[in-house]
Amino acid sequence: MATGRETSVSSLPEQIVTYARHKHLSVQTLGRWQAWMEEDQAALLSVAEELQLGENHLRDFLDWLEETVLRDGGTIHSLLARPELRRPLDAKLARNDKLKAVKEALRKLRYPRLSRLEDDLRAAVKALDLGGRVRVSFPPAFEGDEVTVEITARNVKELDEGVTRLRQRIENGALQRVFDLLDQV
Amino acid sequence: MTLYKPSEILIERGEEDTPVVQRALARLPEVPVQIVEKDWERQAAARDVAGSFAVGKRRLLFTRQRSTFLEHCPAGTPGLVCCNYLIVSLISNCPMDCSYCFLQEYLANNPTLKVFTNVEDLLREVAAAVDRQPWRQFRIGTGELSDSLALDPLLGFSGDLVPFFAARKNTLLELKTKSDCIDGLLTLDPKERVVVSWSLTPPEIADTEEHGTASFSARLAAARRAQAAGYKLGFHLDPLIEYPGWEEGYRDTVARLFSAIDPRRVAWVSLGSLRLTPALRTTMRQRFPHTRLLSGEQILCADGKWRTFQALRVTMYRILTGWLKEAAPQVPLYMCMETAPVWEKVFGRAPTCDKEVARALVAPNLVDHKKAVHASTEPALSLSKGSA
Repeated sequence: MATGRETSVSSLPEQIVTYARHKHLSVQTLGRWQAWMEEDQAALLSVAEELQLGENHLRDFLDWLEETVLRDGGTIHSLLARPELRRPLDAKLARNDKLKAVKEALRKLRYPRLSRLEDDLRAAVKALDLGGRVRVSFPPAFEGDEVTVEITARNVKELDEGVTRLRQRIENGALQRVFDLLDQV
Repeated sequence: MTLYKPSEILIERGEEDTPVVQRALARLPEVPVQIVEKDWERQAAARDVAGSFAVGKRRLLFTRQRSTFLEHCPAGTPGLVCCNYLIVSLISNCPMDCSYCFLQEYLANNPTLKVFTNVEDLLREVAAAVDRQPWRQFRIGTGELSDSLALDPLLGFSGDLVPFFAARKNTLLELKTKSDCIDGLLTLDPKERVVVSWSLTPPEIADTEEHGTASFSARLAAARRAQAAGYKLGFHLDPLIEYPGWEEGYRDTVARLFSAIDPRRVAWVSLGSLRLTPALRTTMRQRFPHTRLLSGEQILCADGKWRTFQALRVTMYRILTGWLKEAAPQVPLYMCMETAPVWEKVFGRAPTCDKEVARALVAPNLVDHKKAVHASTEPALSLSKGSA
């Protein structure tokens, strides 16, 4: 049975076809991959084999790599060689953790301002220091203008603590900063 | 701009002698002509000979519209602010080929460029609707399923439409185009009832993504000529595209626009972020693999369309509206297919109902023709008043 890893003696096109067959990739996905420059194809094959990418994850990689290069210039193989991606790829992590870390790193390159906004909001919420019983969340993909604040309490004392913390953060302007950040890029 | 020349002309049996067919045949004497039966398109689709989208566009079919002409603009999606726009389509599909055009998906299965010959039915239908409700104000456009003017040199529909709408007191016709085909308009008197509008993107986007359209400069030159001929103008910065250098590109676009035309005769300017369905993105990748429009920071929104993420597009809208208000303070601004929260962030408030947007756009432009000539410096009601 083909594993996608046993192809060191075959040509690159054969290796990609073997991998595609093993992962049941669609004709469209395989076609997009094969349309790339040879060095780009090879660079993605190496990543795909390392992360054992199936159809959906591989399509995300194709989209994000192509779109980033179209916007920023350069080549796909040079993009895949960037330290932001090499670090998680070379780290000693389980496959799922590695896949998550690499995709997150690639997404930051593809969506730099959105990623920065996410980081800023995460940091701003953390800085609020609301404790474990108050949760601040944002609309999906930051569309809309509503921030959800939830307080979980087992008794009135815990509820009062949560409310008090929130009241303080409102009064010192820290919560306003969170709302303001939603509109900033 | 190169005028459209079809690969063949198909005429539905019985439509050969209609005025629009006769005009087109006279102007395209060298194009092969075939008489076809009324269900040609359905049969072609069944035989799989309709061809690709690009091939379909090159085939010009004259047929009758057997359904109604007057429809509500499909942009009125739940959850988005609507401007109560109505559309009529005498043409289905477009001779131009913008990489982002929704028709690639919408007309994927029937791409033949169709021209409806029964314009008299359209006029009758519109008359019945607008004359029956004289208290109501209508804004009707022809640019939804095609460019309003790109085929006018062949079809001459402006000669049917402009006099008809010029005679109505409660209705504005909008002819929306990316062409410079305005010669057919110049001898007609619009009587303040016709707005000729141009979709504008910065020249670097127009040159690379709007295939077969007039250049940015040619559109502005045409707008000047239309304005000189007595037409009100509209401009649509839609799709608004985020790309490296967008700020410089759009600043230059706004500056060049208002140095070329008189803002006092501009009926409205709209803004609308680039929006793409997942299927359209797939089609764009296939048909335009080098398009840069998929490289923006777009996310999937609640209405199923990909847009630039909200914080960034609000920033873009705010910057653009700032420049527009500086250059043309009295011109009504509005946004297409945006949510109430985005309206609030950009303009300081959202319309309380759909009719409010429509009123703000139509009422200032439906003034008496003779008075309008002298009152054009009066500021129009602006949706953007009190903006953030």
